[in-house]
Amino acid sequence: METTITSTAFAEFAATAEAIMNPAIEEWRNNGGKVVGYFCSHVPTEVLTAAGLLPFRMRGTGSTGTELSDAFYSSINCSFPRHTFNQALKGEYDFLDGLLCISSCDHIRRVYDNWKQNLNTPFVKIMSLPKKVGDPQVEWYREEINLLRGELEQHFGVQITDERLRAAIKLHNETRRLQRQLYDLRKGKHPAITGAETLAVMVAGSAMPAERYNALLRSLLDDLSRSNGTREYRARLMIVGSELDDPEYVEIIEEQGGLVVTDSICYGTRTMWVDVDEQAADPVEALARYYIQERPSCPRMNGDQPRRAQFLRNLIDTFQVDGVIGERMLFCDFWCTEHYMNRLDFKEVGIPFIQLDREYILSGKGQLRTRIQAFLETMGK
Amino acid sequence: MFVGGCDVGSTTGKAVIIHEASIVAHCITPSTTNPEKTARFAMAEALRMAGLNSIDDLRYIVGTGYGRLKVPFAHENVSEITCHARGAYWLNPAVRTVVDIGGQDCKVMALDKNGKVLEFVMNDRCAAGTGRFFEAMALVLGCGLEGISSPANQGANAATISSQCSVFAESEVVTLINEGVELPNIIAGINSAVANRLFSMIRRVGLTKELALTGGCSKNEGLARALEKKLDVKVTLLPQDPQIAGAVGAALIGFDKVNHH
Repeated sequence: METTITSTAFAEFAATAEAIMNPAIEEWRNNGGKVVGYFCSHVPTEVLTAAGLLPFRMRGTGSTGTELSDAFYSSINCSFPRHTFNQALKGEYDFLDGLLCISSCDHIRRVYDNWKQNLNTPFVKIMSLPKKVGDPQVEWYREEINLLRGELEQHFGVQITDERLRAAIKLHNETRRLQRQLYDLRKGKHPAITGAETLAVMVAGSAMPAERYNALLRSLLDDLSRSNGTREYRARLMIVGSELDDPEYVEIIEEQGGLVVTDSICYGTRTMWVDVDEQAADPVEALARYYIQERPSCPRMNGDQPRRAQFLRNLIDTFQVDGVIGERMLFCDFWCTEHYMNRLDFKEVGIPFIQLDREYILSGKGQLRTRIQAFLETMGK
Repeated sequence: MFVGGCDVGSTTGKAVIIHEASIVAHCITPSTTNPEKTARFAMAEALRMAGLNSIDDLRYIVGTGYGRLKVPFAHENVSEITCHARGAYWLNPAVRTVVDIGGQDCKVMALDKNGKVLEFVMNDRCAAGTGRFFEAMALVLGCGLEGISSPANQGANAATISSQCSVFAESEVVTLINEGVELPNIIAGINSAVANRLFSMIRRVGLTKELALTGGCSKNEGLARALEKKLDVKVTLLPQDPQIAGAVGAALIGFDKVNHH
């Protein structure tokens, strides 16, 4: 599928997704701003923003090998931390003033261990993320966020007042609202933006200051309102899976004629479908409740699969999805189990489903093409 | 009306020409490093065999296989999964499970009673359980592919080869040789290792009779017998060379295209 968008805002998003460093970060740093890298969409980035820090979501973009990081990982570790840590060892992340890990999975925990031992980033912290979605876990996470707040205040010499937290929540909610508007443009018969393009826009959202991003996204939405949209495609697909940050992967799917119209991935609906409560008396509790209970959940949360399945069914209806691609990085046990259940769920309602295992960096393109093409053919598309 | 199917695989190129619902010519040629050349070469040979003068005598041509995007004269390309299923079902409409074992891929397709693909699985990137695997083993054993295939060479006490990786399996085979295990038992071990792998792929889509083998490795009789033993099901023989099933399917899809318009 050809990129049809002529938009300077989109060009900036695409360039941002294609690299780790970008002009917006450079400008931020030249003005004395500090940058904190973070892993996983469960990190409450609003707290970083409230501290005057720029949150940057960690990825291994541009990596071609793991020769430096392999020594620090075992054969059961997935390729995402391997490539990302390899980029760090090469010096690609020397610009970070801090790194925030979280116990989202064992592979990410190993990034924390290895980072602390081998790199000199001034502030390195790991947060503890509960495994369930009940009220006691919200309380636990509220305390975690307050601990983070205190440590950031101390290390960076800033004050994170409730007022600043509320302002950050508002700003990030505005990002979510704009991203949902972008997804609205994909619901109709002629989606104004492809799945690959959307992914670039979503990835860029975690790599530049929110004010700048929101302004660019508003301008992109304006440009897209004049677009005729994609007219020729064989089927409407949804991608369900994990940390997918490479638009080219989606491009290969779309080249076969399968237009990706929505998703449940870490750079997609799960990060923006719901807003954080702006009216709550305690903004920290609002954040805890959002990240544990309210946002669409991730398979690393135990006991919440029925709610996730319902979320996917709603997306299928809302975006008129014909078939689902279950993407999984090799060695990810959460997504292995989740896709097993997804397969059964989708079979019950007659939605075609295919599971694709992948490495973090795009490889085996030929086989990927064959699988997607055959999937579309079996759908009769 | 003549139509053609061209299946450019990793190891061989196949071309089939169909006229009024019957195969009038088919040929198999070794793949070159240039898929376009492989396609041209296979199709030129098939045309000659069919007594046709030029590619223009074919109303519609469908490309398939690894090099399907590089078949210069194809009107469209269709995945080898759909083509092998279509070809095998046309050759024997009782087929419900198709196992395609090619040079560097193996795939299993589950079909409904109308021949529609319900589900499929495909091996991962490595060459385990494919032609490349057998070639590597034949080289180590010095017995040639015929030696691995020959029913006379299937020892009664198959050696255990647990590794599915061609490289690791090779070192296992070397160990067996050095332990003095008899050649037929090693060969039986190799075939049953691949049969085990196919068995688990078949179980993913579910086994429904009849089961047919297609692709180049379907000619490995030792493998077919090992798979039958593992599945406790007889492999259904196709009335044509099973290696051309993909090209047959491609030609049939072309035939449909012309008839629908």
